[in-house]
Amino acid sequence: MKPKVAFFDFTGCEGCQLDALNLEAEDLIDLLNGIDIVNFREVMTEKADNYDIAFVEGSITTEGEIERVKKIREQAKIVVALGACACIGGINCLKNHVPMEEALRIVYGKDAHYYNTIPARPADAVIKVDYYVRGCPPATSELVKVIKALLLNKKPDIPNYPVCVECKMAGNICVYEKGQTCLGPVIRAGCNAVCINSGRYCWGCRGLVDEPNIESQKDILTKYGLTAEQVIEKFKIYDTCSEVLK
Amino acid sequence: MNESSVLIIESDPIVRDSLCEWLKSTGFDVTCAESAEGIVKIVEKRDFNIAIMDVRLHGETQLAILREMKAIRPWIKSIIITAYPQEETVLEAKKIGIVDYVVKPIDLDDLQRIIHGTIESIYKDNINAINIESSVESSTEDLIPGIKKSFAISRDNLALMVENLLKETEVVGVKAKQGKYVYDKISGFYELSLDYDVTVSPPTRYLLPERETLLKFRTDNNHRIEPVIKYTPRVIMGVHPYDIKAIELLDEVFMTHNPDPNYIARRENTVIIGVDCLRPSPGSFAPSMGTNWTETGFDLLLTDIGNSYIIKIGTERGAEILAKYAKYRLPTGDEIVRQKKVRGEALSRYKLALDIPRDRIPKILEDSYDEPYWESRSISCLSCGSCVMVCPTCYCFDVRDEIALNLKDGERFRCWDGCMLVDFAKVASGENFRRDKASRFRHRMFRKGKYILERYGKLGCVGCGRCSSACLAGIASPLEAFNSLADNIRLKEAATRVVQPAKQEQDIYIPEMAEILSVRQLTEKEKVFELKLKSGKQLGHYPGQFVSLSIMGVGEAPLSISSSPLRGKNFELAVRSIGDVTSALHALKAGATVGIRGPFGNGFPLKAFEGRDLLLIAGGIGLFPLRSLIQYVTDRRYDYGKVNILYGCRAPAERVFTDELELWKNSKDIDYHETVDRPCEGWTGNVGVITNLIDKVEIDVKKTMVAIVGPPIMYKFVIEKLKKRDVPDAHIYLSLERRMKCGIGKCGHCQINSIYTCQEGPVFSLTQLRSLREAVL
Ligand SMILES: Cc1cc2nc3c(=O)[nH]c(=O)nc-3n(C[C@H](O)[C@H](O)[C@H](O)COP(=O)(O)OP(=O)(O)OC[C@H]3O[C@@H](n4cnc5c(N)ncnc54)[C@H](O)[C@@H]3O)c2cc1C
Ligand code: SF4
Ligand code: SF4
Ligand code: SF4
Ligand code: SF4
Ligand code: SF4
Ligand code: FES
Repeated sequence: MKPKVAFFDFTGCEGCQLDALNLEAEDLIDLLNGIDIVNFREVMTEKADNYDIAFVEGSITTEGEIERVKKIREQAKIVVALGACACIGGINCLKNHVPMEEALRIVYGKDAHYYNTIPARPADAVIKVDYYVRGCPPATSELVKVIKALLLNKKPDIPNYPVCVECKMAGNICVYEKGQTCLGPVIRAGCNAVCINSGRYCWGCRGLVDEPNIESQKDILTKYGLTAEQVIEKFKIYDTCSEVLK
Repeated sequence: MNESSVLIIESDPIVRDSLCEWLKSTGFDVTCAESAEGIVKIVEKRDFNIAIMDVRLHGETQLAILREMKAIRPWIKSIIITAYPQEETVLEAKKIGIVDYVVKPIDLDDLQRIIHGTIESIYKDNINAINIESSVESSTEDLIPGIKKSFAISRDNLALMVENLLKETEVVGVKAKQGKYVYDKISGFYELSLDYDVTVSPPTRYLLPERETLLKFRTDNNHRIEPVIKYTPRVIMGVHPYDIKAIELLDEVFMTHNPDPNYIARRENTVIIGVDCLRPSPGSFAPSMGTNWTETGFDLLLTDIGNSYIIKIGTERGAEILAKYAKYRLPTGDEIVRQKKVRGEALSRYKLALDIPRDRIPKILEDSYDEPYWESRSISCLSCGSCVMVCPTCYCFDVRDEIALNLKDGERFRCWDGCMLVDFAKVASGENFRRDKASRFRHRMFRKGKYILERYGKLGCVGCGRCSSACLAGIASPLEAFNSLADNIRLKEAATRVVQPAKQEQDIYIPEMAEILSVRQLTEKEKVFELKLKSGKQLGHYPGQFVSLSIMGVGEAPLSISSSPLRGKNFELAVRSIGDVTSALHALKAGATVGIRGPFGNGFPLKAFEGRDLLLIAGGIGLFPLRSLIQYVTDRRYDYGKVNILYGCRAPAERVFTDELELWKNSKDIDYHETVDRPCEGWTGNVGVITNLIDKVEIDVKKTMVAIVGPPIMYKFVIEKLKKRDVPDAHIYLSLERRMKCGIGKCGHCQINSIYTCQEGPVFSLTQLRSLREAVL
């Protein structure tokens, strides 16, 4: 029996789901040979409440969404967070950082205080998440990799080393050498350092590695001329929420 | 094609032209002259391998010319043509040093034999002149006859060679990119940078690509597995000797022990054209690792000597390439001299070096396994793996499977991995055998300096310096690690020497005799004494350490060493006459003998200061100890960032070492400010307390290290001021004066809580002092 797969979206741009469809026809056929997609708002109209694997996209930003994602967890055997918003909170979390002292505390990871509205949070702040398809937007190849791993019943091999490794594999000149800054040393690889390859720097969309040396990274950013505020801004864009809420 | 150069001097046009045509047809670069006159001008302008000269009967002029030619370019081999071989002229020519003569009418076979013999002898000369280690050469010469020879090739001809190669094969070379250099495929000679310093990533990626399929498989009933060995034949152009040495290590690892078919296929289809590194990168320490030159490991090796290159053949394949694709010639003597010169200059351009011979590295590592160094140095390690990813000698990899969406077809591939990454030593159960940063950091250094050497007979580091420039935390350099650990061991040995009772029990209190070499009056109450140990030994101190000076019968007094250890065997003590010993000392003249014990104490933390901005603050005779550090820092100026010196005195007349103050004031390398509390007439400088000077300096809180020596009251206010500027406690060092007697941690006079100032001090960081309740500031 083919596993039934459903996609659900919460607060996000849905760019992640759209990306999932961006497969070669041949691969799509292979994919559909392996799984049954029973709920995919972007492509199907009928909905089924019977599914084995749930892909959750977007971050959780309302009480209603908390209830909904909990229901999904009850239903599904496996829950996969899809995209930066679902995996780490993502851009939505920007609203969480209001006054400076607050931001500081978030970056320093000691404590979390929230305002009266419910702060944006990643799926795993509410429910147990089994796998993550990281990135903003996540790469099709990685989504496929996770699906394949699920079908083969093995752990998807998503690296726990930082972007620098893939950046060096790509033979890039480190952006620090050009006087720019980059979060590559603490951000989980897996994207093949696309941003640096294309002349930019890593802004952290895939979240932190398991044991990031945040202190050292901050020192380095300061050494390269960023002020304390700018250092915090760097971290804020993507990857602080998960650290705080976990 | 061989294009060695020949100069023909022959007045008979028929003989001249036919000789010329014949030599040209065999590939020589020929220049003709009608008569001996004017030859000197030609030879002054350009060099030749061989000169062939017609010498007539009573050819006095021609002999003179021969002599002159010999004087300008002694290496040119001359052959004379003569109709009168028995005559005195020929005898005279032989004395001048011709290689041989041919009798007219010329027998071409004869001449050809002579020319070939001459060329052989030039080869031999060259081999001896060009080789760095001639012993290595002579043995390889026998192994591969006919190769290992050096030629010269013009830049144009080199370009031609590359263009020719490009027609038939892929050529990878060094290109400039965003102010750095990278290896990349080239499409023309013009893209190459042969005078680069270092590339961002090493050429070894063309032998061990970042990802490579090893097997393809299909998981149906009869599991099909096929090996995949893919390679592109290519020439790598412009590999520096240290990278060639790294490739030799990889060859050892992948070709001789459990041979790796993928590596071997790629290696055998890779031609390596090396180039001498004449403009080393600031982070390179290749000479310390013995990798700045190489005699092996390349097919061809170039040395850029200006207008042309010396090109050395390393393998038969190299010789074939040269013969097939290039026009080359024998190097002239002038070119050989130039090669020696450019290599010598290159050697002098290296900035970094090991403090110890490299064969001591394994032992030093072995003795340092449990050192706190690993822990403290790796605190800032990001585990980012950059150091191992850019290293030419790193070759660790991971092997993984990837399966297609049909879940049947798949491949097994390998990709780069490295011991600095968190999960490198993690096993399935979740246990990680190298859990903490320190153990990973240590492991890498042990690989570089010990493990690989023990297994493969070659050090695992070739000194390219790539890791240190790739490491954002600034900690990855093996050179720095090896030197620090060696230093550590040296200090420890020194310390054990002091406390070892058996050997030194009776010695610890006995001073060594020292002679006063000179005495200079500094101020009314202060003099500086230049001393030398009578044993002739160097005192062996660090800036900030002190000695105990005794005048037998009067007593002993602790005195800081005022001079830098880098300035020879003598040392200086600057002393204020204040009591018994010091006034007795003041009464002594050059030639007198005093007793010296020490050096004692810790001195300033030189390692912690390296690479930092320094702010050095002295009050009054606090300059006595601080001067030693200041001299040391100016002697190794390139090891430090900005250097600021602040000096405060009560009155202008109390300023010491005024000649040196003047030097610092005028130095472009140093920022020097001074002030006095109470000015006198004629004083045009600053007036006021020293804390005012601190306002004048820019302090980069992250980078600045501060050393302060002065009276206690000064410490109080200076520290307050520095704290206002957010300088962290750990960056502030003070030298404390305490009452001292033994200098060796026995007498207890100098104790502050649990600490002996003479042992753990007299220099302390403010962090340390804050934990000492007795050290009221
Ligand atoms: C680490 C250190 C480095 C020093 N460096 C210098 C220097 O470079 N130049 C210089 O002129 N002075 C220096 N001094 C101070 C110098 O040691 C004293 O001025 C000197 O000991 C006075 O000895 P005296 O016999 O002349 O005086 P006395 O008054 O006869 O002293 C008697 C004893 O008291 C002790 N003593 C007296 N004053 C001091 C003092 N200030 N510090 C320590 N012990 C003292 C001495 O051990 C001496 O044996 C230094 C002190 C220390 C602790
Ligand atoms: S550019 Fe960024 S990811 Fe690449 S090596 Fe530098 S810090 Fe690491
Ligand atoms: S380089 Fe950084 S920002 Fe870019 S995709 Fe990768 S993790 Fe995201
Ligand atoms: S350890 Fe560093 S210096 Fe040594 S070879 Fe590797 S990259 Fe070069
Ligand atoms: S163990 Fe570490 S240092 Fe050694 S080759 Fe592998 S990655 Fe390089
Ligand atoms: S030593 Fe430097 S380059 Fe190496 S892993 Fe640590 S931080 Fe990265
Ligand atoms: S002088 Fe330090 S213990 Fe005696």
